[in-house]
Amino acid sequence: MRKQILAPIMATALLACAPALQAQDTVKIGLIQPLTGSVAYNGTADANGARLAVKQRNAAGGILGKQVELIIEDGQCSPANSVNAAEKLIQRDQVVALVGAFCSSATSAVMPVAGKYKTPFLTGVSSEASLTEKGNPYFFRSAETDALLGQAFSRLIVDNLGLKKVAYIGVNDDWGRGSAKAFEQELSSHGVETTLVEYFNHGATDFYTLLTKLRGSGADGVFVAAETQDGSTLVKQIKQFGIDMDVFGVGSWATSDFIKITGEAAEGIYAAVPYVSNLPGERNQRFVEDYSAAYDHAPGKYAAAGYNSLNIMMDAIQRAGGTDADAIVDGLHATDYQAPNGRYRFTAKGQGYGFEAALVQIRDGHTEVVATTRIADPEANHAKDGQ
Amino acid sequence: MDMLLQFIANGLVSGAFYALSALGLTLIFGLMRVVNFAHGELYMLGGVMGWLATTVLGLNFFAGLALTLAVMGACGWLVDRFLIERVRDQGEEPSILLTIGLSIFLTNTALLLVGTAPLTIEGPLPNKPVFLGPVVLTELRVFAVAACAVLILAAHLVIRHTRLGRAMRATFQDPMAARLAGINTARVYASTFALGTMLAASAGMLLGSIYSTHVSAGGLVSLKAFVVVILGGMGSFAGAIVGGLLLGLAEALWGGYISTGTVDIIGFIIVILTLIFKPYGLFSTQVERA
Repeated sequence: MRKQILAPIMATALLACAPALQAQDTVKIGLIQPLTGSVAYNGTADANGARLAVKQRNAAGGILGKQVELIIEDGQCSPANSVNAAEKLIQRDQVVALVGAFCSSATSAVMPVAGKYKTPFLTGVSSEASLTEKGNPYFFRSAETDALLGQAFSRLIVDNLGLKKVAYIGVNDDWGRGSAKAFEQELSSHGVETTLVEYFNHGATDFYTLLTKLRGSGADGVFVAAETQDGSTLVKQIKQFGIDMDVFGVGSWATSDFIKITGEAAEGIYAAVPYVSNLPGERNQRFVEDYSAAYDHAPGKYAAAGYNSLNIMMDAIQRAGGTDADAIVDGLHATDYQAPNGRYRFTAKGQGYGFEAALVQIRDGHTEVVATTRIADPEANHAKDGQ
Repeated sequence: MDMLLQFIANGLVSGAFYALSALGLTLIFGLMRVVNFAHGELYMLGGVMGWLATTVLGLNFFAGLALTLAVMGACGWLVDRFLIERVRDQGEEPSILLTIGLSIFLTNTALLLVGTAPLTIEGPLPNKPVFLGPVVLTELRVFAVAACAVLILAAHLVIRHTRLGRAMRATFQDPMAARLAGINTARVYASTFALGTMLAASAGMLLGSIYSTHVSAGGLVSLKAFVVVILGGMGSFAGAIVGGLLLGLAEALWGGYISTGTVDIIGFIIVILTLIFKPYGLFSTQVERA
């Protein structure tokens, strides 16, 4: 009796160990994004961008002569759920590569799983700096780190906004804390005084206590690291509270949805973003047209991240000429991808660089690009520090 | 000093909101003894319904609120008659599982219907700042605190001074004796659940007009509401009010003088201390049942 039960289990286990032996008629890529919870909105945008990339690739003949199948799981931005999702995608669906996890803490939890099963894993969003420093050879990041963004933008912010004293507010997770710290460090090195560093929890609704402290801090500008939902509530309450400071930040600020939800209170705020739909360039124009045709609104930062990360992964699999993990890793290292927002390449540690980022301001319900800057190769940056 | 005044004002306002969002749970958990983990989702549905009524149907705030209350009251009635009734008198575990399941079902249904985008409900008053000396509030917040007071008072009057209220109290003290005295207890249970649902929904819509709401808002609301009910004492309205205000003040002062990043810890500290030192809560009138 026991043997009868065990036999199919062992057979499945064998199959799971040898996905290459199976004749698959599609190339499966797993995507983990928060589709419920307080950053669900941004996770959905990322998934939409990813779907568009796959649809376009399939229409052009797919990769390796096969169609690409995108399997999306809800990681809820939580480490535990994201790990479950990764296990399911690798074990049951036998995906050849993973993309996602969105929140840095969730991505960080999925990394050892990807390492254990030798599955190439690319994040297009998680920006916590230490992820690419963990020496996981299967992990790549096609996004800016907090430190790289801070470096690229601090000069622009000092020059364009002329701030002397800045307060820092971030969402209480790896990303929010990392961003606030990175910007504080960079701006301090440009002689900007720090008046306040505070954090709030995901899904917080009432910021009046925080704003009371902000008002008392005497800052002339406030840096905010928050996503659409939390950020919109915070910005609205900053205006309600009668605080008149320059507001600038990172997160999904410069999207049409953010402006729609936040209304008048969004006027005048600055955002440091790796992508905005009115970046110049023909490539971006085409992406915006395709995306708008599919989803009835212009793409934001996360839609672009999902689109780019899937394209990079599919290119790498194509370059690998098969679904062997190490070949895909080599393929990722050889990436030179022309995105709507510049050209992506990877360092030896798997950190993406070379793409454009923009400082935008919201004026009359639209984002206007104030200045753009390129995310520099972090390894090269050590040589010419302080430029 | 100015900061302290503002912290206290913030704490009282958010405390009043906590009290209002816990009120429905006071009825359903405190009186009916249904451990309702779907409370936050009923709150969320109130916000979503309010958004549909004001934005999609184009009603004004008060007409929207009336419609929301009617629909959610009916929902609460049906949930009790078709779901809760089946696990009544079977101890707490079945109702816990049932309401957890219900909460997942409601969240995902709402997700299918309106998606993940945050929803803003147009309030009856502008959200412009009002300065009271050094303290900043908005008209809408003042209005919401007043509305909380009215709703709490109305619920109190219903329970204390109407036939239905008397029937409720009788039923929850001793269902058997209530039935013998000719009270239709099934109807009383359903009405109580409907009333609790309406209170949760009105809180959801009111607070949705001040902040914004989204389909995943329920979880945190449930947690805070349980904190308030346990602190205040099961089934006590005065307890819910005092519990809500204490939680709001404690959070505001902790956030103000220690750190806003760790503010959610306060609620759990309060629950643990309450359970150790005053397990029946500050205002509980209940004694151990035989």
